[in-house]
Amino acid sequence: MAGVQVSNVSRSFGAHKALDDVSIDFADGGFYALLGPSGSGKTTLLRQIAGFDFPDSGRISIGGESVERVPVEKRRIGMVFQNYALFPNMSVADNVAFGLSVRGEAKAVIATEVQRALDLVQLGKLGARRPHQLSGGQRQRVALARAIVTKPRVLLLDEPLGALDKALRVDMQIELKRIQREIGITTIFVTHDQEEALTMSDRIGILRDGRLVQEGPPEEIYDRPKSEFAATFLGDANIFRGDATGNGIRLPDGTAIAADVGDRLAAGAKASCAVRPERIRIAADPGVLDAANANELRGQVSKRIFAGNNSTYFVERAGQTLKVIVQNTGMDRLAEGQDVVLRWSPESTVLIAAG
Amino acid sequence: MMITRILEWFGRLYIFMLLAFLYLPIIIMALMSFNVSPFYQLPFEWTTDWYASLWQNDQLISATWNSLEIAVIATIICVVLGTAASLALFRYEFRGKKLLQALLFPPIAIPWLITGTAMLIFFFGVGIGRGLFAILLGHVALALPYVIVVVSARLQTFAPELEEAARSLGANQWQVTNRVTLPWIMPGVIAGGLFAFAVSFDQFVVSYFLSTPGQTTLPVEIYAAIRKGFTPEINAVSTIIIVVSMALMLLTARFFKFGGEK
Amino acid sequence: MAAQGAIASHNGLRKALPWLAPAYLWLTVAIFLPLSAMVFFSFMTDLPLSGKPWAFTLGNYAAFFSQSLYLTLLLASLRLGLEVTLWCIIIGYPAAYVLAKVLKGRSREAIFLLVILPFWSNGLVRIFSWAMVLREGGILDTALNAVLPFKINIDLMYSYPAVIIGLVHSYVPYMVLTCYLTLQAIDDSLIEAGRSLGASRLQVLKRVIIPLSMPGLVAGAALIFVPVVGSFMEPRILGGRTGTFYGTVIEDQFVAVFNWPLGAALSFILLAVVLVILAVASPVLKRAN
Repeated sequence: MAGVQVSNVSRSFGAHKALDDVSIDFADGGFYALLGPSGSGKTTLLRQIAGFDFPDSGRISIGGESVERVPVEKRRIGMVFQNYALFPNMSVADNVAFGLSVRGEAKAVIATEVQRALDLVQLGKLGARRPHQLSGGQRQRVALARAIVTKPRVLLLDEPLGALDKALRVDMQIELKRIQREIGITTIFVTHDQEEALTMSDRIGILRDGRLVQEGPPEEIYDRPKSEFAATFLGDANIFRGDATGNGIRLPDGTAIAADVGDRLAAGAKASCAVRPERIRIAADPGVLDAANANELRGQVSKRIFAGNNSTYFVERAGQTLKVIVQNTGMDRLAEGQDVVLRWSPESTVLIAAG
Repeated sequence: MMITRILEWFGRLYIFMLLAFLYLPIIIMALMSFNVSPFYQLPFEWTTDWYASLWQNDQLISATWNSLEIAVIATIICVVLGTAASLALFRYEFRGKKLLQALLFPPIAIPWLITGTAMLIFFFGVGIGRGLFAILLGHVALALPYVIVVVSARLQTFAPELEEAARSLGANQWQVTNRVTLPWIMPGVIAGGLFAFAVSFDQFVVSYFLSTPGQTTLPVEIYAAIRKGFTPEINAVSTIIIVVSMALMLLTARFFKFGGEK
Repeated sequence: MAAQGAIASHNGLRKALPWLAPAYLWLTVAIFLPLSAMVFFSFMTDLPLSGKPWAFTLGNYAAFFSQSLYLTLLLASLRLGLEVTLWCIIIGYPAAYVLAKVLKGRSREAIFLLVILPFWSNGLVRIFSWAMVLREGGILDTALNAVLPFKINIDLMYSYPAVIIGLVHSYVPYMVLTCYLTLQAIDDSLIEAGRSLGASRLQVLKRVIIPLSMPGLVAGAALIFVPVVGSFMEPRILGGRTGTFYGTVIEDQFVAVFNWPLGAALSFILLAVVLVILAVASPVLKRAN
């Protein structure tokens, strides 16, 4: 096992900067998600770590050993591909045995290790099958067994759950996490699915246009996003734009919004505030709302979407549509067209410098 | 990364060498057909005399006409019969369909030497004999499977629901075929036709066994001329043939992708 | 649905027949009946039409087995087929690999077309074009002597290597085509997976790429081997007196010696050999589907 350090890595394809001075430290044994929209560079970064491609500048080290010029087959990594990439000409057991076999391990050792890996992913009895005889979830497990049987220093996963349906995905998320804990391997996981990133990883790195936007534990990124992009890409957020006042911002119409979280900005600078929809309280009568929630706005409900355990209200206010999510307690349903008051606390409000 | 670059560079060089191997003899032949010396001596001196003298060679000209005539007629027959058969194989389910499809492969896979000599024996035995008609019979049979394969491949991309939709709108079988199915498979039909023309126009082996001194095709005439001795005139006519057949295939490729992607 | 299918298949043939009959009748008259007739004639002493008396005989086959000449020539043709096929693999497979895995986009399409284009042009003319390159005082001779400081005579014309060169030139595009089709169907991530598991380029080639492209290799080999064993025009033009092979002997029976029954027997033996080869190759090809 080993940690991975990526320092100031840049990579261009022609005029396109796929990675632009990215530095990120993956600690030993951690489970990391690289999150970003398509074209953000997350897969490019993973392929740099794997060794399929080399950086134009910057350093990559695995376990303290500098590897940016080491070809993939010498890096001792394990990788699970988006489409699993199981060799169709080999049985499941031969697929898993491949890495040990090219290394020249003894037959008996290979057999034991392969069986152990297949048992770990709960496919101990399917060694003789061919990949095309397996279901999507089973292929996924074989790909995982194949990647970990060689005892790699790092496990790299390129959107491994993308091809599975929702229910299977959730099962595999749990399963993947269990296996990762069991063998304690440093795992780097590329995904565009924010929910997957939030539920699975110890730390998340958000990429955009080849740059690392923010990196940290899921809670931190969710509660203290450092940019509008991070706020809206990971989870949902209402964004208010205005001028910094010292403890918040002032909207163009003069309304003040107080923010206790985030950077302290010099008064007068352009700034934004982000508020999660579930942090806002909504009511027709302001009297029922907690007065300690200092931020208050008035608006009109334009739409309500009922989603079982919660409802989403869209509230029009000064040309902006705000989103509020309310747990369904069975009481105080608001009608479309109704005038409402919104309140939330400064602790739920993140101040962000205008990017 | 260096290794990858070097390997890629080496790969490109390799392809370039293969292309040189494939095209150099042809290019040299074409050049020599414009060279003054009848013994292919260098230095090169430009002339079009050999092309001009082709016009005086009645034997070659009549063989060329025969080749063109047979190729055109064979193409028409192949396209009509082949398209009809492809449509039937596509539309209807019946026992023995697999066998009928398998039967298309012997004409493609069996060496033309065997097919050609077998045709010679059989046509002689039943009184058809040799000559242009026998050659036409043979060419159609050789090209037909190609047409069916190409048109069928195109039909694979056709959604049968389109025919059903046309029917539900009141079109009869003939209207469905004419206005829905045929327009869709037309690129395949054209490609198949060009294939058939190329197979017939370039065909040597079968024509060779089925021709008689007066009734012969261009490749057979060229073979006879080569065996008598090389002349720049053969270069000239060969150059024309190769240009025509390559142009035909480029045209075919425009209508039909040879690559894996459909 | 099942009942409907049964009705469809019952009526299907009747509906399909008018569309199918012309094409298949033609194939019967011009391919299948001739092949059967050839088998029939191969058991006769003479053609029944020439007015001469004829009888059934095994003599034509006896001739093949009693005269070592025919067997020797068949073996020579098989060897020729093997050598040409091997050269086509050696030359064609790497080219197919570069086309499928190294070149990208439009340049790949254009070069692929360029490689297979000659295959669809006149084979006779292409063989003839080599005559000009290979003969003494020909282009290769002149070019080499212009470059080399010493005088050498390159006269490959009318030799076994000339026949090989001509045939490889004729058939290598076939190998490129079939191998390209299977190679480009191999997902690049399989190659990457192999390397991420610690395999070198060579190990990936040996254990992943070649096994997966085997159907293309076998198809190409069969499509080359079969016609080369039956070739006669190429050895005649490029081989001269050394160009006597099984195919040229069959040709002689029909156009020079006029011993058609013997020719038919020899053709039929060749057909049997061809069928055996195709039968051996077909399991590999079927597995690909």
